[in-house]
Amino acid sequence: MLNKSVIEAVMNAALSIGGDFVEIFVEDKRNTGLILIGGNIERAMSGRDYGVGIRIFSGTNSVYAYTNDSSKENLIKVAQEAALAVGGVKGDISINLIRSHVRNNNEILIMPNTIEKIKKVELMKRAYNAAKNYNELISQVSVNYMDREQNVLIANSEGLLIEDKRVRTRTGISAVASKNGEMQTGRYARGAHMGFEFYDTINIEDYAKESARIATTMINAELCPSGKMPVIIDNEFGGVIFHEACGHGLEATSVAKGTSVYSNKIGEKVASDIVTAIDDGTMANAWGSQNIDDEGTPTKENVLIENGILKGYLVDKLNGRRMGVESTGSSRRQSYKFAPTSRMTNTFIDNGKSTKEEIIANTEYGLFARYMGGGSVDTSTGDFNFAVMEGYIIKNGKIDKPVRGATLIGNGADILKKIDMVGNNLDHGQGMCGSISGSIPANVGQPTIRVKSMTVGGRKGDK
Amino acid sequence: MTKKEFIDLLFEKGRLAGIEDMEVFVQRNSELELMVFKGEIDKFSKAEEEGLSFRGIYRGKMGYSYTEKIDETSLNILIEELISNAKVIDSEDIEEMFEGSESYREVNVYDESFQNISTEEKISFIKALEKEAFNSDPRVTAVDYCLFGENTINSIMKNTKGLDIEDKANVAYGYISAIVKEGEDVKNGARYVVSNNFADFNPKKLANEAVKEAVSMLGAKSVKSDNYPIILRNNAAASLLEAFAPIFSAEQVQKNLSLLKDKLNETIANDNITLIDDPFMKKGVASKSFDGEGVATKYKRIIENGVLNTYLHNMKTAKKDGVESTGNAYKASYKSSIEIAPTNMYIEEGDTSLEELISTTNNGILIIELQGLHSGLDIISGDFSLSAYGYLIKNGEINRPVNQITVAGNYYDMLKNIEEVGSDIKFNLPGYGYIGSPSLKIKELSVSGE
Repeated sequence: MLNKSVIEAVMNAALSIGGDFVEIFVEDKRNTGLILIGGNIERAMSGRDYGVGIRIFSGTNSVYAYTNDSSKENLIKVAQEAALAVGGVKGDISINLIRSHVRNNNEILIMPNTIEKIKKVELMKRAYNAAKNYNELISQVSVNYMDREQNVLIANSEGLLIEDKRVRTRTGISAVASKNGEMQTGRYARGAHMGFEFYDTINIEDYAKESARIATTMINAELCPSGKMPVIIDNEFGGVIFHEACGHGLEATSVAKGTSVYSNKIGEKVASDIVTAIDDGTMANAWGSQNIDDEGTPTKENVLIENGILKGYLVDKLNGRRMGVESTGSSRRQSYKFAPTSRMTNTFIDNGKSTKEEIIANTEYGLFARYMGGGSVDTSTGDFNFAVMEGYIIKNGKIDKPVRGATLIGNGADILKKIDMVGNNLDHGQGMCGSISGSIPANVGQPTIRVKSMTVGGRKGDK
Repeated sequence: MTKKEFIDLLFEKGRLAGIEDMEVFVQRNSELELMVFKGEIDKFSKAEEEGLSFRGIYRGKMGYSYTEKIDETSLNILIEELISNAKVIDSEDIEEMFEGSESYREVNVYDESFQNISTEEKISFIKALEKEAFNSDPRVTAVDYCLFGENTINSIMKNTKGLDIEDKANVAYGYISAIVKEGEDVKNGARYVVSNNFADFNPKKLANEAVKEAVSMLGAKSVKSDNYPIILRNNAAASLLEAFAPIFSAEQVQKNLSLLKDKLNETIANDNITLIDDPFMKKGVASKSFDGEGVATKYKRIIENGVLNTYLHNMKTAKKDGVESTGNAYKASYKSSIEIAPTNMYIEEGDTSLEELISTTNNGILIIELQGLHSGLDIISGDFSLSAYGYLIKNGEINRPVNQITVAGNYYDMLKNIEEVGSDIKFNLPGYGYIGSPSLKIKELSVSGE
């Protein structure tokens, strides 16, 4: 992707001016995106991303520069400008790059670019038909397909020279149900760090039907009541609650600055005893997995919370310098256009002892959030909000009726302590996570859990 | 290979491969972003990037492809991908390329003065911004975001029908988010400036406003769940408008994804609401003389005194509806295909100040920030239920700060229930267009809290 001698020349050029660490990230990526609306392929876009990012540290100062022009002359110019900006004294560092190889956790069988687009379209049309024919209330279905093959080369002045290939694919279905001039949408997306063989491991039609079922349930639902009540959040994508309410606050980006509510809390109790949470970038072929992070460090399993006690953070090299700890293999970025920083990979609350049935049966009145929509958090205060895509009111230990338009709000630190039941049905869902180093694929996951009391925002006023 | 040689060769090879009309859109972006944390430079990012978007009509269908690398390999990728993408398109819409408008109105979106501002001056600005925040109140414990960014974008659009146009724009922004703490109570407040004139970057004013707002939220608590009269402060009203802006796109309407379908010339909002899309607005970050298809942009009143006048169109949707394009074709980047987006879109100001809106409210809530806008609303149904904070109003006066609440309603209903329109228009950070609104007083919305 870029010649070793060119990389060394660029690093030497930078270090001859300033800095104590240089990193070069080269990315060559092929992208395909197809959108089907109402049975027809409406958009098809594909292309090639290519660029080089150069990062230089001097102590805890860091400068990042990127360019698409990978000629040696230009890279040297960019690196020297960056070195000038980072300042500091120039060190006496000699570069000796040694090529290493990744431990491959994510075997790819069928490269997406070897599959004709028409095959991808067939897959999408199968999904479309399954959702559209679900029942007569389904008025519109769209299907969104993407695949990408990202080739990266990462080298740094510590001698690292490593390449990795990340192949991902994801298909999302969005079904709209209409009735009496109203519309409700159900969405479902599945993705993996896999090639086109992913679609042999799942039946896309099942997920398409599921999106139609959600839309149909919600068009027949009443408005959700408001107020504080126990909330049961179902497994799989329900894990978005931990991702937003706590995960972002464990990223070194805010921990190192002391702006996270979890700064300086290692060893302290931050959640109820039954909560254990993990971020694991090594799960084979999972959506958020990578063999190495975007600084070239192998990913690993990081225990964040164990039985309620805060055990660890997600750390990248730069924030590791600030905090005096090693990287946890958690440094990620959307592309060469972003300096990498600590981010989540596949994050989940681990299995507990209850069954989902027990959790529901033990709840006299409350909200059951079957599927969550997205959410966001303010890491400085920990205040979060989530949309509930498919919700039900629980009465006397039984699911009573579907409700729509619910939003859950609360404070992360507070809510973790209020988790009073954890199920044994851990599963994972796939999302895109946006933060300062861009939008990256991330798994969220959990078993069914119950939060003792949470503010539910609905349109129906008080219960 | 120079860019010009590359484009000429691409058109030649494309024609040989059977592509009829072809167009390239090249975007070159120079970018600088700076952040400070506790007086030290925390982020220094500099970029020169370029991307080329290729589209063309192959057997009657529009195909797209793009690349970020100008080389022989990319030439083949562009042509192969365009053809394979065109082949899977089912749409029966007639595709055409535009030869150019008769004339383009000049917009002034490039200010050279920024070139004379050194990087040191920009760093001094953010250092001052952070320092002013710490100086303005002893309860400031950190400034979690303090940044300056700027970019200059050059775009070229050239096609085989003779279109050959260019555009150059620059914009800079400053942003601060300050954290204050009193006991265990932590709150934050943020402010930003967007402009291409460095004289608009006033650190003291920005920092003071951000800190003042953070401090004003200390001690906030929830309210009783109920329906309340609501004032959406300008920025919150603009955020909501931005989230729902796609409902005005003719594409959404034609695809049955907007409830504004069949509502042209009908009343969709209270008569105090006029919604304008003005691509020529002074200081408009989204100002432009031509759109993503090369069509000359136009000023239009989307809603006039409550009546829906027009949707936003590109060439394809306009043809379907038998109207002219409104010049709202939009390419988010060279990686995007043609969509539809507003330019500078805003609700026209009324003549009531925010203070008057408050003083005439007996019991209500002033919302100063809405959160979760990407998830807590359904663009199709218009339903929203959003986390919010602000102040409780009692007897025409601000009583106390309020948080941990959600406000819920339906946007279509809300448009009809806007009782008063403020005189304090404000534009949000640019995103899907550059969206502005004055403060709006809504008859009532459902609030969930205690």
